[in-house]
Amino acid sequence: MSFLPSCRDVSRHLSEALDSGRPLGMHVRLHLTLCEACRRVLAQFALIRHGASRAPDAGPSLSAGAKARLRRLLG
Amino acid sequence: MTSDPSGWVDAYGDRLFRYALSRVRDEGAAEDLVQETLLAAFKSRDRFKGESSELTWMTGILRNKLFELYRRQAKEVPLLSSDEDADPQSEFFDARHWKAAAAPRDWGGEPARKAESAEFSDALRRCLDALSAGVARAFVLREMEGLEPDAAAEALGVSRGHLAVLLYRARLRLRRCLEKSLFAPEAAA
Repeated sequence: MSFLPSCRDVSRHLSEALDSGRPLGMHVRLHLTLCEACRRVLAQFALIRHGASRAPDAGPSLSAGAKARLRRLLG
Repeated sequence: MTSDPSGWVDAYGDRLFRYALSRVRDEGAAEDLVQETLLAAFKSRDRFKGESSELTWMTGILRNKLFELYRRQAKEVPLLSSDEDADPQSEFFDARHWKAAAAPRDWGGEPARKAESAEFSDALRRCLDALSAGVARAFVLREMEGLEPDAAAEALGVSRGHLAVLLYRARLRLRRCLEKSLFAPEAAA
């Protein structure tokens, strides 16, 4: 399989394709048909993008001190 | 016409803070961004036409404040090779393939639902904190703010090629960190 790109090269191509929008080359696609790890990376990069683009709906709150200061500034 | 500004802190403060905190590295910087945002909204409240919700309007202001901060940081401390961390070659790969310890695992059932959870947001923030500043900023601008690559590169003061390197490193490291902390922690144990 040495005619195929390495996992490192494929993972880099997958990352670049997310930004360029260009389709994957034939050798990369062939590698993906044979390599489960790189197929997972493709899916996981996309999943991380999906999750990261969503605003957090829970988590830390502004401190009481900051809220009091802001209320004074806006009051 | 906006609502009474005296109610903005209670109505929007926490959500703006979480938005900011997920994109900067410390609570003080996030609080500063929220303060700048609310004051800018207060000063320009007469121009708010109600075409979007107040929260959407304020989030837009916050985004612009965030981009200004990144541009300032890029000028003050230009991204150097040392900001990019070590090359991922030895960290993740042997000569051609994934190292056994770094090979991507199965993320189990319904990973898409998990990626939309508050748990994911928390884990992502912790994993972003572990990245170098430049790598984290590249990811925030491109994947969280959705800037086009040219705009993200311009905000960071780097070339498109350099941005691609930063994003590749961010994705590799975040993928592994999220796997260990959220999606397949038992495999990493």
